[in-house]
Amino acid sequence: MSPPPSVPPAERLLNLVIALVNTSAAMTKQQVRAGVAGYADAPSTEAFERMFERDKDTLRSLGIPIVTVDPGGHSDEVGYRIDNDAYALPPVDLTPAELGVVALAAQLWSDKTLRTDISRAMTKLRAAGAGEAAADAVAGITPRVRAAGDAYGPLLEAISARRVVVFRYRAANTGQVMARHVEPWRIAARGGGWYLVGFDRDRQAPRVFRLSRITGRVRVTGPGSAFEIPDVDVDAMLGERVGVGRTAVLAVVPERAQAVRARAKVLDASAHDPRPDGRDLLEVPFRSRSAFADELAAYADAVVVLEPQDLRREVLHRLRAAAALASVPVGTPDASGEAVHRG
Amino acid sequence: MAERADDRLVRLLGLVAYLDGAGPVRLDELARRFGVTSRQVREDVDALWVSGTPGYMPDDLIDFDAFSLDEGVVHLTRARGMTRPLRLGTREAVALVAALRAMHASPPVQAAPERAAVVGSALAKLTAATGDAASAVDVRLAGDGDPEVLAAVSSALADGRRLRIRYVNAGDVASERDVDPVRLLTQDERTYLVAWCHRAGGRRTFRADRLLAARVLDEPAEAHDVDPDVDVTASVLADGGPGAPVATLMLASPARWVAEEVPAESVRDLPDGSFEVRLRVTNPAWLRRLLLSNAPDVRAVAPPDVAADVAAAARAALAAYGDAPAPGDAPGA
Repeated sequence: MSPPPSVPPAERLLNLVIALVNTSAAMTKQQVRAGVAGYADAPSTEAFERMFERDKDTLRSLGIPIVTVDPGGHSDEVGYRIDNDAYALPPVDLTPAELGVVALAAQLWSDKTLRTDISRAMTKLRAAGAGEAAADAVAGITPRVRAAGDAYGPLLEAISARRVVVFRYRAANTGQVMARHVEPWRIAARGGGWYLVGFDRDRQAPRVFRLSRITGRVRVTGPGSAFEIPDVDVDAMLGERVGVGRTAVLAVVPERAQAVRARAKVLDASAHDPRPDGRDLLEVPFRSRSAFADELAAYADAVVVLEPQDLRREVLHRLRAAAALASVPVGTPDASGEAVHRG
Repeated sequence: MAERADDRLVRLLGLVAYLDGAGPVRLDELARRFGVTSRQVREDVDALWVSGTPGYMPDDLIDFDAFSLDEGVVHLTRARGMTRPLRLGTREAVALVAALRAMHASPPVQAAPERAAVVGSALAKLTAATGDAASAVDVRLAGDGDPEVLAAVSSALADGRRLRIRYVNAGDVASERDVDPVRLLTQDERTYLVAWCHRAGGRRTFRADRLLAARVLDEPAEAHDVDPDVDVTASVLADGGPGAPVATLMLASPARWVAEEVPAESVRDLPDGSFEVRLRVTNPAWLRRLLLSNAPDVRAVAPPDVAADVAAAARAALAAYGDAPAPGDAPGA
């Protein structure tokens, strides 16, 4: 291990920003190394180059616009400066109630990466002079989204730069793991799942990938601006997972399936043919056919689907499989139900 | 753990820009604004004090009034051109705008118009400041629930009042309870009310889509010492403890969400893409529902009486369908 540098990294970065904001034209690498506090610590030219490259990346990822300046006639060395017009946050002027909302939104993410990103955004907004946050507008409300996982960082980077990603993906219907080459368009979260919407280069068609089925690392590859991102309808692409609004007619045993009743309209049972025997007739809105079939099958004999037919078939499909459920031994030594603690 | 250099840099730049506009500010007030300790702000001031433009002569450095600082007031006297607040990076803008959009569309916010208006105006201001890069991430929280019920819960939370709710549990049994609401949590696809339940004498979690009715009472809600950060999904779904019996399910690949979303003891991938998941179950009704819903993807279940119980329930249901046939449904198709 090398000895600790005399200038901490945050202060070296700070001095670099101040130098590049104040420089009259631009600074060359040599001027940075010789002049900016912290860079004299680099023991060799290679170490300096690495340090400077990393620092530029860090500053750019924070939104600090470092631009390169072509050398003039006498020099062959590129210069660097900060684009002062692009540096500043436009006036945002949040009210205390709005800042309270923003502070609450910061709790939405379970992800460490996203939390870091949003807390930095908060620091910048506070620096812009927003007043004290007032939380009463959103008292007691906590929105939260499941962690997206390791794929999020590289995917977002690839979308921003419009570069292709490569990853190994487990297909839902076959369980087969295959490499996929994708032009990433959007990262989306719906109903507890995270998805990548993009153009699948292997299938030559738009596809949706569930992030939890990506195995291993996502690699960002190829040149930037490699494709255009179309104006995609994420909900349409996610299709059945989200669904279009329809209504079902159910025959329900009195007093049962109360959670379904809570969002149902009661129909006149005598008007229906054939008339349900001793059951209430309910009209219930739904979106995802499969999610609704899951819910209704779970009520077993308490709920009978009358319409629509595709929903009825889905429920019957589940019930027939359940009726045939064989108690095949599961083939593990401790499958008998004895207690084994995790971890 | 040491703070990341980039996080600290953002605050160092932020302090200068803020102080330039705000004038002298008390140390503890700065600490509160930037969410750090006073000691940290003091260290930040010390770091800024020795920073500036190359040459680093006294006039090149950021400067503070030393007398004010002795009295606990930070007074910036030279900013070295760092007066403007830094814009948001792409990642930061994405994290912020996607979170606000998700929040804006969530049922608890939509249930209260004045609340939706505040979230909407914050979103509009930030979208204007960040441009359209933020559309790379698109998050929607569903979380069903009766808007009237959600509005009642929201107003009880805002006013600190007790609620009378009618709730139906997973076993389809309804009950009426008085609860002191703690918070309304929308997590992914569901909304939950976390509350102190006077009937149960403890903290309970209620799924919003199973709240049949909610009425705000005149009595104030009492303060209770409840942990707001319990894994709500796990406690509602399985409610299993270390002593609960274990069930083992062998599932086909399409049911992979079970391994991802249900609190499992262990998950084992099998070579053909199917997998085996072990669950600790105190609530047999919950397991029956899970198996009925996902039967086409269930390859095997242990112990055997669980499978027998599910099959019996399914046969009764098929009989009910036979009693109320609909046109176009051939038996056994």
